[in-house]
Amino acid sequence: MNPVAAALGAAFALAGSGAIAALPAPARWGPAVVGAATAGVGIAGAAAGGAAVSGTVWQAYLPDLLPLAGVRLAVDPLAGWFLLLVGGVAAVVGVYTIGYLGRDGHGPAARGALAVLPVFVAAMLLVPAAGSVSTFLLAWELMAVTSLLLVLGEHRHSPAVRTAGLWYAAMTQAGFVTVLLGLTRLAAAAGGESFAAIRAAGAGLSPVTAGGVFLLCLAGFASKAGAVPLHPWLPRAHAEAPSHVSALMSAAMVKLGVYGIVRVGFDLLGGGARWWWLLLGALGAVSALYGILQAAVATDLKRLLAFSTSENVGLILLGLAAAGVWAGAGQDGVAGVALAAALLHAANHAGFKTLLFCGAGSVLRSTGTRDLDALGGLSRRMPATTALFTVGALCAAALPPGNGFVSEWLLLQALLHQAPQAGTVLTVAAPVAVAVVALTAGVGVATYVKVLGTGFLARPRGDGAATAVESPRSMLVAMGLAAAACAGLAIVPVVAAPALERIAGELRAGPELFAGGGVDLRLAGIGSIVSPLWVAVGVIGLAVGFAAAGRALGRARRRAPAWDCGDGPLTARMEYTATSFAEPLQRVFDDVLAPEQDVDVTPAAESAYIVRAVAYRRRLPDRIEAHLYGPVIAAADAVGRAGRRLANGSVHRYLAYMLAALVAVLVAGVIR
Amino acid sequence: MDGGLSGQDPACGAGGRAGSRAAAAAALGAGLGGSVQVRHVDAGSCNGCEIEIGQAFGPVYDAERHGVRLVASPRHADVLTVTGPVTVNMAQPLRATYEAMPRPRLVVAVGDCARDCGVFAGGHGVLGPVGDVVPVDVRVPGCPPEPAAIVAALRGVSGR
Ligand code: SF4
Repeated sequence: MNPVAAALGAAFALAGSGAIAALPAPARWGPAVVGAATAGVGIAGAAAGGAAVSGTVWQAYLPDLLPLAGVRLAVDPLAGWFLLLVGGVAAVVGVYTIGYLGRDGHGPAARGALAVLPVFVAAMLLVPAAGSVSTFLLAWELMAVTSLLLVLGEHRHSPAVRTAGLWYAAMTQAGFVTVLLGLTRLAAAAGGESFAAIRAAGAGLSPVTAGGVFLLCLAGFASKAGAVPLHPWLPRAHAEAPSHVSALMSAAMVKLGVYGIVRVGFDLLGGGARWWWLLLGALGAVSALYGILQAAVATDLKRLLAFSTSENVGLILLGLAAAGVWAGAGQDGVAGVALAAALLHAANHAGFKTLLFCGAGSVLRSTGTRDLDALGGLSRRMPATTALFTVGALCAAALPPGNGFVSEWLLLQALLHQAPQAGTVLTVAAPVAVAVVALTAGVGVATYVKVLGTGFLARPRGDGAATAVESPRSMLVAMGLAAAACAGLAIVPVVAAPALERIAGELRAGPELFAGGGVDLRLAGIGSIVSPLWVAVGVIGLAVGFAAAGRALGRARRRAPAWDCGDGPLTARMEYTATSFAEPLQRVFDDVLAPEQDVDVTPAAESAYIVRAVAYRRRLPDRIEAHLYGPVIAAADAVGRAGRRLANGSVHRYLAYMLAALVAVLVAGVIR
Repeated sequence: MDGGLSGQDPACGAGGRAGSRAAAAAALGAGLGGSVQVRHVDAGSCNGCEIEIGQAFGPVYDAERHGVRLVASPRHADVLTVTGPVTVNMAQPLRATYEAMPRPRLVVAVGDCARDCGVFAGGHGVLGPVGDVVPVDVRVPGCPPEPAAIVAALRGVSGR
């Protein structure tokens, strides 16, 4: 039997039985059952993905499973890459869930909410495995609905969860509609709904049809991926969902939007016009910059991580855009590098974002708050969590020796490449894209320094942080697994090279991306080399060397209390908070962020010169959301209110509506 | 030394000169070698001495010519200048400031109050002269001492 088929079969069977077993399981065992099932589904999915990226392909048609279209599955290396990614994330999150929801846990352990978890993971595995439009749409919708149920897990506890759920539901369904329109139009134009049939007909489509399909699909997929300006659901849903769900959504589900763009843009439509990719690049650049700026000034830990997801998706989209542009310009080798950078960054982001969201969940579970301004001092009370979170932050900041560094380096290589016949547009666009990546990386470092410094170091600024306790072992093990995966991807990304080459070859980009073996990443077409292993050895060696030298030379070292202006003792109120740390950045990017600030000085009764109290308030509303979505929501509201007048409760009137509708349909049919 | 400056130096007196010489020896022993970073603490002065210290670092007397700089933290300082009698409330901050300095370190007590509580001796809230709280290496007499005297004392420390 085909190993992909066996593994996928096992995954779906496990998901089903896990969901069923979770319903009658006693409350005490529910999280363990669901966590184990989810981890099992993840491992099986990753196994299927592993087999697929190493060259095993699998196709199946199950006509009896669903009426009309049946179910068509097709797993190729590209699907395998995302199966591996989703499976890996789910395996870690499954283990994490056991502790997170378990005894003294946090969040909803309601049976229904528990049972949905393995189904959600199975739906995410089904998306890349789908081999036809109908199966894909079914899986996509299943994924959307199950994730919505999971986001709403804590709706009883806070109204913010309900708002988040509403946003998510509206945007994910709107996205589904655009994808549905796009893919059904594509299937109709291609004369068949299986991906194989569409692929065969894809090149012959008229540019208008192909462009329209691409735009429709891009809208849906980019909103799922959280690209700005289709992002407003993301910071809400990621922040308000239970943390294990945030991890799954941010690390895995968002990547399926990326998968959709690759599948439709590169595979089904076979490349396409240059403006598609320039548009995608613009989307990516805006997402990267806006995402990281919002993350830099966010004080809610999970909201910050969510905006950082937008940023990383932006970088991935930039990579895809570069791949599309270079492939169109006949530079297959560079296109392959760009594609590899995008896919590798997707995997890297999945790794460190799983780790970071799990870390955020541990903090939330143990302190009861996500507010960085009220955290601090966790390194003493939660040393293991802090250490693991540090690994994730290092990777997310794209600093060597983290894994984010490797994929961003690849991305820069692809962007820096200048083809002689590139033309004016590319000659301008490529350096701009490089600048965007550089600025994003810089602000990213500041962001993660802020998270680590104000959230975990120094002294606790709130009661929750002061009484925090270390997380249970299963959560630490899960985070350790994610950290190990990040370290693996950081130090020996070469292991992914054959898979990336296979995918690039399949998508008609350069087949020979990486030259030679060994631990270095050698780019065949561009001729540059990076050696993450030696970079890591160098950085760690330097750090250890400096520490040792300091110890050896510092004979006259003297322990002295921290300088407190002589007027001690130091209190937590003197510390940098997340707000104050980000204030200079906020000032620099004032025009972009447009913060609403308010300083209230209350003088004493005796004299206007004596200050009794100073109140400082700051709000950082999401401008894009306010300006783009505010009017739409207001208009929808107005239409809804006006529509109410149509429904005045009279049965006669309703019957008249029905008759009118029927007549309209008949007339339309006759005219046609 | 600038002749003009030393010429306007009557109030400094023998005590100042002697102190400077002792300090110079101490400073050379301590290896300050011509560069002295000074942190100033007002332990309870009337601010008269502060005005004179300000003048010492102003354009006329310009102590920075002689390798002496005022710094903003005791962590960066070799020398602590202290003015005023030490009040009850400033005793602990003064001790903490002295403790925070890197070694080697010197203390210069500026003004009569710093030497022996001056006009504030026996006053309410006065703990005692600077020497009661931290060890003093150089004393600059005067109420307030002239900028030239302060500069002379600091030059003694910097050795330039
Ligand atoms: S010595 Fe004179 S000028 Fe200096 S603090 Fe005392 S009273 Fe004021």
